[in-house]
Amino acid sequence: MNQQPIVQFKHTTKIIGRKTIVNDLNFDVLAGEVFGFLGPNGAGKTTTIRMMVGLIKISRGDILINGHSIASQFEQAIRHVGGIVENPDLYKYLTGYQNLKHYARMDSGISKKRINEIVEHVGLKESIHNKVSSYSLGMRQRLGIAQALLHRPSLLILDEPTNGLDPAGIRKLRNNLKELAHQEGVAVFVSSHLLSEMQLMCDKIAVLQKGKLVSIENVQAFISKDSISRVYLEVEASQTELTKMLIADLNKTAIAGNGPNELWIQMNKDEVPELNKLLLDNGIRVLSIHVQERTLEDKFLEMMGEEK
Amino acid sequence: MIGLISNEMMKIVNRKLTWIILFLLIAITAGSFVMNKLTEEPVSDWRAEQSELIERYQGQLEIDELSPQMYADTENKLQIANYRLEKDIAPVSENPWSALLRFSGLIEMVIIFAIVIAADVVSREYTSGTIKLLLIRPHSRAKILFSKYISVAVFALCMLAIVFVTGYGVSAMFYGFGNLGTKDLFLNAGGEVTEMNVFLQTVKMYGLSFLPILSYVTLSFAISTILRNSALAVGISLFIMIVGNSIIEATSRISWLKYLPFANSDISLYIFHLPARPEMTLSFSLTVLAVYIAVFAGLSWMVFKKRDTA
Ligand SMILES: Nc1ncnc2c1ncn2[C@@H]1O[C@H](COP(=O)(O)OP(=O)(O)O)[C@@H](O)[C@H]1O
Ligand SMILES: [Mg+2]
Repeated sequence: MNQQPIVQFKHTTKIIGRKTIVNDLNFDVLAGEVFGFLGPNGAGKTTTIRMMVGLIKISRGDILINGHSIASQFEQAIRHVGGIVENPDLYKYLTGYQNLKHYARMDSGISKKRINEIVEHVGLKESIHNKVSSYSLGMRQRLGIAQALLHRPSLLILDEPTNGLDPAGIRKLRNNLKELAHQEGVAVFVSSHLLSEMQLMCDKIAVLQKGKLVSIENVQAFISKDSISRVYLEVEASQTELTKMLIADLNKTAIAGNGPNELWIQMNKDEVPELNKLLLDNGIRVLSIHVQERTLEDKFLEMMGEEK
Repeated sequence: MIGLISNEMMKIVNRKLTWIILFLLIAITAGSFVMNKLTEEPVSDWRAEQSELIERYQGQLEIDELSPQMYADTENKLQIANYRLEKDIAPVSENPWSALLRFSGLIEMVIIFAIVIAADVVSREYTSGTIKLLLIRPHSRAKILFSKYISVAVFALCMLAIVFVTGYGVSAMFYGFGNLGTKDLFLNAGGEVTEMNVFLQTVKMYGLSFLPILSYVTLSFAISTILRNSALAVGISLFIMIVGNSIIEATSRISWLKYLPFANSDISLYIFHLPARPEMTLSFSLTVLAVYIAVFAGLSWMVFKKRDTA
């Protein structure tokens, strides 16, 4: 897959008054990936997005989009961008179709056919000629995505796009974004404070905290790193000491769990078959093995905790 | 640019407020002309009527409390009435053009409505949050602001045209379509009584009034762009307009007031030869207005271009 950088953050910093809201960001967003921008409320996600689209000035550093500086070559840079900043605020007194026509006119070469195609794509065909004031938040979210995709951008920026969507809508959005990135090579930049969703939606996750980037990794690495899972073991009570010793041989520590014959070990899920074999070979009667995978959320909370 | 302007026109046209304003504009204009017709008294002998008027004017001029503006107006009318009798020129029979000329006050209504529309066109994008999606397009902020400004200006021009057409239409029902060649007595810039084409005077008054309208539009637009608050923009602009009317009188005493927009924003003063100060001319007023328009527009642009859009 085409993996050239679409967005390049170069020491991007935003200072408002005396407060540093976004602090020295340096990373790339590549074509063809869904990039998750994760952070608790107030971390500076929206502020970063505002800088990416030129709504606010960058205090220090720069952001390049397709090689063009958003600060000094605004029109060339923004041409490749589609997005929603914060809420999908559209013209409520116009119809959905009029809204799309409005944005289509602001770009060259968007045909009627393209508008209809995108309306179909986001599933608003039935209500597109109704006034936006009658739309639910989910429908406005979809209309927002429609205006963002009209001109086939190479970078799609969505700020908390799952707000207001029902679970089915979220699943559909997830699939759409993956398809856009993986099939059409669009760089998709999604911010969220909801980790469980990011985990399923994104290829790569950057964690922002108090304006600083604290981690950036592929989602697999993010989830599995550092023996993320806990393996709960139940063995014959008389065999717990022997079990502990055997596990120590694996360079791991077994810790007593709640029950008298329960132990838990922090380890990778893919090491479980080995553990099982070791115990069986040594005549341990394993009553149950149960893997508790930690979610990204646990890891995220832990990461946030460490920062404090 | 055409696309941007059609977008802005679409946004103006699709608002309820716009249609309420257009309805009021037409209703008030038509109402004024109908009322005028109803209160009209038929004239049987114009010479006797003019003599009567002359006596009344002379009586008025002897009263001391007359404001300078009123005094000049009465003097002008007296001069024309005397001229009529002297040269035996009958007043023109009622026609749509003369009626339109008399209703110069309708232009102030256009100004008020134009202020309301102009106050909303930028600040509304901020209050509804739509400014964000508007600005993340491959157009400079200058172009986006300019397209809004042009659209409001075009809308104001349309309102002026609607007043003109409505007024003409209603008068035509009463007085017939009128004759483009009709002449009547006016005072020229030198204060001499002259015969002038009524139609051309009407076109001149309504046409040139676009500049005062535009200057209030620009003021309201600038305030709403800078403060992002349409209520304040309407309030401040209307306040200035109302205070401004009383400043026209003061301008006759205090010379530098002529450089403020107020004494320059009523074109009918020049049609009826009532300049606030003797040295003020039509082209002076138009120049002053043009300078203010440029200043207000420049201010809006500077603020809009630089601002962080939250
Ligand atoms: N215009 C501003 N002036 C002062 N502080 C601001 C401004 N905009 C945002 N902030 C502050 O910056 C921080 C980051 O805000 P934001 O980018 O909206 O966070 P997020 O989108 O991650 O929730 C918040 O603490 C917010 O209060
Ligand atoms: Mg936010």
